Amino acid sequence: MKHTRYHAATALLALCAAPLPAQQLLAVRGATVHTATGAPISDATILVRDGRIAAVGRNVSVPAGALVIDATGKVIVPGFIDEHSHIGARPTDLNDRPMIIGPQHRIRDALDLEDPDWKDAVKGGVTSLTTGPGSGENVSGMAIVLKTFGSDLSKRILLEKGGMKFAMGPKRSDAYPATAMGVAANLRQYLIKTQEYVAAQKRWEDGGRQGAPPARDLGYDAMAEVLARKVRVRAHVHSATDVMTILRLKDEFGFDLTLHHSTEAYKVATEVAKRGVSAVVLPLGSRIGVTDDAMKGPFELWKAGVKIAMHTDHPVINQKWLRLSAGLAMRYGLPEDEALKAITINVAEIQGVADRVGSIAVGKDADFVVMNGPWYEPRTRVDLVVGDGAVIYDRSTEGK
Amino acid sequence: MRETSRFLATTVVTAVAIAFVASPLAAQERAIAIRGGTVVPMDGPAITNATVVMRGGKITAVGANVTIPAGATVVDARGKYVLPGLIDAMTSLGIGSGDLNEPADPVSPQLRVFEAFNPFGDFGSGTSGPLRLHELLGGGVTTMYIAPADAALIGGQGAVVKTAGDNLAAMSLRDPAAIDISLGEPPRKAASAKQRDPATRMAEVAMIRQALVRAQEYQRNKAQNPSLPRDLGQEALGKLLRREIPARIQANAPVDIRNALQLAEEFGFDLVIDGAANAKSQLAQLAARKVPVILGQVSHPYVSNEEIPDKSDYPAVDETLPATLTNAGVTTAIATFSRAFGSLAPSGSSKWLLLDAGIAAGYGMTEQQVLQAVTIIPARILGVQDRVGSLTVGKDADVIVLDGPPLSMKSWVERVYVGGELVHEKR
Repeated sequence: MKHTRYHAATALLALCAAPLPAQQLLAVRGATVHTATGAPISDATILVRDGRIAAVGRNVSVPAGALVIDATGKVIVPGFIDEHSHIGARPTDLNDRPMIIGPQHRIRDALDLEDPDWKDAVKGGVTSLTTGPGSGENVSGMAIVLKTFGSDLSKRILLEKGGMKFAMGPKRSDAYPATAMGVAANLRQYLIKTQEYVAAQKRWEDGGRQGAPPARDLGYDAMAEVLARKVRVRAHVHSATDVMTILRLKDEFGFDLTLHHSTEAYKVATEVAKRGVSAVVLPLGSRIGVTDDAMKGPFELWKAGVKIAMHTDHPVINQKWLRLSAGLAMRYGLPEDEALKAITINVAEIQGVADRVGSIAVGKDADFVVMNGPWYEPRTRVDLVVGDGAVIYDRSTEGK
Repeated sequence: MRETSRFLATTVVTAVAIAFVASPLAAQERAIAIRGGTVVPMDGPAITNATVVMRGGKITAVGANVTIPAGATVVDARGKYVLPGLIDAMTSLGIGSGDLNEPADPVSPQLRVFEAFNPFGDFGSGTSGPLRLHELLGGGVTTMYIAPADAALIGGQGAVVKTAGDNLAAMSLRDPAAIDISLGEPPRKAASAKQRDPATRMAEVAMIRQALVRAQEYQRNKAQNPSLPRDLGQEALGKLLRREIPARIQANAPVDIRNALQLAEEFGFDLVIDGAANAKSQLAQLAARKVPVILGQVSHPYVSNEEIPDKSDYPAVDETLPATLTNAGVTTAIATFSRAFGSLAPSGSSKWLLLDAGIAAGYGMTEQQVLQAVTIIPARILGVQDRVGSLTVGKDADVIVLDGPPLSMKSWVERVYVGGELVHEKR
């Protein structure tokens, strides 16, 4: 076992760079570990093998040959996860305005992996996220769930079809629909047409594929997956009225749903809870000073039994400051462990990738963050970020 | 002798009677002592177990060994932190969304932002007075600079206001406080959309230069011939040229900061740079010429009022900027550049000024430096340091009491005094 001091070890790791060689072991010792699924473990060791968590706890024996990082006095949390970001896409690529319902659009086709924002995200401890199209249209397209690091997109992707973006309420005065009524009617009509499209396909299949197949439409193809519950709906929603409208549409068409922004969802918290719908909630870091009444929304929703997640809406606020959103929700009643869940395990569960990420648990990807103080304090720094078992950010070697 | 004491007794009775009738004033006349807290006065180091006394709307004593006047209302602040009210040195708060930018002319120095300042609430609701901007007060902000948004080149005259007052006039602290100017993408884009100038940075600088040359001519001609017709815009720019007020120039890209410095040098006006995201590119110049800067939020330095700002004016987020500037000797305040997001966020990010500034404490600033960057330093930049910004005897009794360390996410502003009056308590 190599006992190395924290800085020396991390500097060495940074030099080695990239993922650890196969079978190489990494042990991070001495920190208080918040796993996101249980009580904090003080003086714990996290053992990483082949990019995954091999063990976590107080009495973990470190095999010979492991590279040991001493994190005594530090705080370790799972890599933070954001369920609502627009990172990696240029603002001009987010909203395809001429197409008011465009489920065939995929954010993946606009994704720029060279965007410097990705590196900044890692510096803030954010290791995976959902990035998606904007909210300028009634349906703006397919999001993607991926890691924030690595040069190979195929290895970064956690979930290719990361959710279909709906936007409730009128968004534009210069184009139709210009009212909440118009948006609801538009969505309902499209969903019904999708049902008819699916039925026509089925008739053709059931009829022994006689004659020419029905013409394919990529929009209906994409929306059919929503109706088949293979892809969930991510609904941009602010007013309580619009929350109720999307809940009614869910009741009618049976799709899986997550509310996004959810500004007034707390006003209808029991309606949201009884349908098992999750909510991505405000605030957006410290940029938008939501009223004290609305700031209690995350707490009220959690109390009602709704699974909640915080977000950045990057670039509305910077990706790296996701943890500020959770810290601010804590101020308004959300318990500390629930606030941490709202940027880790809850998000992974909402995304449907909790088998891979979201907590520090044996078998999961080794994505975690070493910090020099409480994760929610503004002045606390991220010292080290481990992603897929490799050190992907090390403050001690920054600028060197 | 008997006559005198009867007279005295009468006046005392009268005074008491008046005190009961005119309560706001009387409340100020009665001393308030905030006792036993950690006092962070900003004009010196923090003092533990100290007392702040206010009377008549002013601070009358600060220290560990202060005699509390007889009859004073005593507030127990043991375990708490006592600070001067915070100052947000750049906002467009209290301005309706339709009033943020006057589109008539990109060069409009005659506009006064105070005439759009509406602390009464949305039309048909709100309050008649006393005026209390509770969302701001809850964040500890008692003074702010208000300005038009950044779509115009010369947007008008900014003002310094308090966030509580018995009426509109009582909230005004300095008006006009500066000529508000924007460089870079926001004015260029706004004008381009209307197919007019300034469509480029070249035009931005040329138009400001032309306006200032005209203003010089106007001042000269008016001095020689007082019967010349008045021009309100030229009068406002005259105040700038005579250095009665500074120019607040929003400049983020290196070229914009350079242009702001150049214009100030040419015309000899006092300059404050707003935003200054790329200030590291002109660090030596800013320090040598003693040009103060007002930075945006530490976590979100994009100071434009656009929801998604044009990032071409900005470098990557750099939380070390406040420390770098401060330690290089540049007078540096941290502000929020807030506007209201409708009734959802009437105080914009301003209510979280302190928490956001607290990030800088993890990036090279001391806690004292962070606190000064949201109190005494903005007071000096805004030219209101004789009234606010520190717990100094003789200054306005704008005092906040926090229930924990000022830069902690867990701490709350419990009490806010403006002019010695308790204007906000945490619910």
